Amino acid sequence: MKELSLNILDIAENSVKAGAALTRITVNETEETLTLTIEDDGCGMTDEILKSVTDPFYTTRTTRKVGMGIPLLKMAAEMTGGGVEITSRHKDEFPDSHGTTVTARFNKKHIDFTPLGDVTESIATLIQGHPDTDFLFTHRTGGKTVTLDTREMRAVLGDVPLNSYEVICWIKEYLKEQYS
Amino acid sequence: MTVEALTEYGFEPLCVPDPDREITGVYIGDLLSWVMGRAKSGDAWLTIMSNINIVAVASLADTSCIILAEGVTIESDVIKTADAKDINIFSFSGSCYDAAVLLSGLL
Repeated sequence: MKELSLNILDIAENSVKAGAALTRITVNETEETLTLTIEDDGCGMTDEILKSVTDPFYTTRTTRKVGMGIPLLKMAAEMTGGGVEITSRHKDEFPDSHGTTVTARFNKKHIDFTPLGDVTESIATLIQGHPDTDFLFTHRTGGKTVTLDTREMRAVLGDVPLNSYEVICWIKEYLKEQYS
Repeated sequence: MTVEALTEYGFEPLCVPDPDREITGVYIGDLLSWVMGRAKSGDAWLTIMSNINIVAVASLADTSCIILAEGVTIESDVIKTADAKDINIFSFSGSCYDAAVLLSGLL
């Protein structure tokens, strides 16, 4: 992927598929590093599955035999001298605290660092596609903190679906304002 | 031409589980997600990437073979996976451009 924001989409889709009620997407940037964390409260993975997720021939899809989300993220991180860490608690073993956390670390100064790209667009796309699950997006960069919490939006909007045209436009504007 | 015939033109076979596969075109690229959506079925895919992920990309895009240019070497477990997944891999000492020029005259 030419932009990390597309990787974010890919990984967050896994969280939704795992039945997450809330997915926290956090991007922490310093001068030198970018750390991406995607943490969900979905069903989690058994140790056996956890071991195989970085294998491109492992996938939760049934339509094709190859899953590239985690392998591509891992490669993008490793190309900069960083890496990916995944921890997971499966619902059978942790009925009250299950979920998966994917953390990817990048060295921004490395020549092969993939730029973050249009993360606003990715977050909007994610909410549009999954209006019934919650996302908490936090991006800390250059002393600024950009956030969006769909739980707060839901409390204000009541019955208005999050994927309605006006709401998606508002989300994009709201994020853009915080960046400017 | 078939993949097997590549060996006559300076392409060194690393693993060729499907030698009769026909090469119908060429694609050059190193950004795997990009190649995944753009290489066509039957293309010989020229790259310098040697990570295990290339085997998955070649499988998804249904390329006829992977050609590792610039004499790039590859881990034995990648070759093992490629063999199991029926993916042909060759190595080539010249650049992607050199390989493409050579293939252009052969296809």
